Amino acid sequence: MQGSARRMAVEFRLSLALIALIALAPIVVDNAYWQGVLIVSMYFALLAAGWNLLAGYTGQFSMAPACFAMIGAYTTGLLAYHWSIPPSLGIPASILAAGAIGAALGLIVMRLRGPYLALTTLSFAEIMRLVIGNSYGFTRGDLGLNVPGLFESRLAYYYVFVAVLAAAQAGLYLLLRSRAGLFLRAIRDDEVAAASRGVDVVFWKTAAFTLSTAVSGLAGALYAHFSQLVSPELGLVSQTGLVICMAVIGGIGGLIGPIAGALLVYVSSEMLREAGGIQLIVFALLVILIARFFREGLWGLARRALQGSDAA
Amino acid sequence: MLNVDLFINGLIIGLFYALMAVGLTLIFGILKVVNFAHGEFYMVGAYTYTLIALKLGLDPWLALPLALLAGALAGWLTERALMRPLYAGYSSWGLMRDEYAVVVTFALSLLLVNLVDKVVGPYPQRGPALVDIPRMALGPIMLSGQKLVATGIALAMIAGLALFLRYSFWGRQVRAVAQNRLGASLAGIDTARASGLVFALSGALAALSGALLSPIINASPDVGAFPAIKSFVIVVLGGMGSLPGSIIASLLLGVLESFGAVYISYDYRDTFGLVILMLVLIFRPQGLFGERGREV
Repeated sequence: MQGSARRMAVEFRLSLALIALIALAPIVVDNAYWQGVLIVSMYFALLAAGWNLLAGYTGQFSMAPACFAMIGAYTTGLLAYHWSIPPSLGIPASILAAGAIGAALGLIVMRLRGPYLALTTLSFAEIMRLVIGNSYGFTRGDLGLNVPGLFESRLAYYYVFVAVLAAAQAGLYLLLRSRAGLFLRAIRDDEVAAASRGVDVVFWKTAAFTLSTAVSGLAGALYAHFSQLVSPELGLVSQTGLVICMAVIGGIGGLIGPIAGALLVYVSSEMLREAGGIQLIVFALLVILIARFFREGLWGLARRALQGSDAA
Repeated sequence: MLNVDLFINGLIIGLFYALMAVGLTLIFGILKVVNFAHGEFYMVGAYTYTLIALKLGLDPWLALPLALLAGALAGWLTERALMRPLYAGYSSWGLMRDEYAVVVTFALSLLLVNLVDKVVGPYPQRGPALVDIPRMALGPIMLSGQKLVATGIALAMIAGLALFLRYSFWGRQVRAVAQNRLGASLAGIDTARASGLVFALSGALAALSGALLSPIINASPDVGAFPAIKSFVIVVLGGMGSLPGSIIASLLLGVLESFGAVYISYDYRDTFGLVILMLVLIFRPQGLFGERGREV
């Protein structure tokens, strides 16, 4: 246990260093396009970190991180569009809406063991996207919804994302270090054993799912105000696929894997864009290879290589 | 009169749902995992049929069995390349098997959709009809010739599958492995071969479904998404792993959607299944026809 706490502390510091590096990047990256790429990478990093809380610590898979981001984006977008509610209220409302829907879904599904969450969230995601696309009168459907911006300068958005990512990461670390984190890890290691020792498995799994959906909602709301246009495409299953690719390629179950994975995957996907839409082919193949042969992702490989050289 | 038409058409839709759902159910029964690439077997069938018939100019009646074979091959290869670690010697993976199966089949689905999108192109392509008979009235029911023939083939396939599983030597092996993998292997059954067979069957039925429906629902890279989602809903409704349960749930969902589209809302017809799914998970989590599991 001692070792795992130390590993977590090391990973947390490394992830903060990575975020600090992102914060300093605009000194070198003065091009608005690539700053935008880094902002979207941070959006994905939030989604991947939230997804990892669930998948890496409770062994439950959500197929809907992009869908909850879409719910968050539409919550603040619709509040502003129909009732002129400012983002300072709209963004908290997005967190609440995504979290509340997540909690309701979690309460129904988490009582069951097995792949129920994955099945239900995938159906839920596809059908939510369909409903938003079809409800033209309220959401403007596939045309997309205009959302007011927050700032004039792109760098202001940049540092909001950096701050939110750092705060989310610190929150996750504190959570995982606490008693609750101990329960979550116990559930991951052996659900039945954890339950027999008095851990309220259903409650903690639902709580983790709620938290993860709330983080997705926040990420989606920020993204909506940054891009100033939201459409149902935000919730495409392929977007969720990208999030899962990021977490798996970076490494599930640690604190740094999802963030490093999101940066690596999204930035390289922008570079591959010129090669003509082969990004998802490459990443999906990479995920299959990693899942099949290196379970711990790239971060796991790197860690093992480092430890190997320490021992030598 | 309208209601009879709606009911029969609902049953027909349900039959095609069943063609998808039985494969998923069989895989869940034998490996206890969900195949998230199931919709892509449907897509493989739709494209094989459409491209062979249109580009090579082969007769649709020849393209149909080829699509079935392509689906069987895709299923068998998936099992060989990706599913073996679930049971072949990786004992320490016991706790992680669900995660592995979800990640790897979901990534396979992403891979196939994007590969086809890149290689064949994103444009929908309409498959040729098997028979050239326009819509006609059969008593109170309106049906096109294609739908009638497709329904007949689907019905024959499901009946054939049921007979195969019930009476044939291999079918009995599959059922034995689904009941108890260890027990079956102790009795000398090659469980790996049974799993391969189930994946091939499942891929073949999904591909057949895609091929039969391609004149009605055009082939496109993501055409498998909705059939797959419907079959996920059905598999849970029917009680994970219960074959009769999944067939009855398919027919129920087909009829429900057919009536709901007319009497409730056409635009939101795809949401009914999800609503029913939520209600069933709240009030009868073992599914409509499943048995409550026990844990040691």
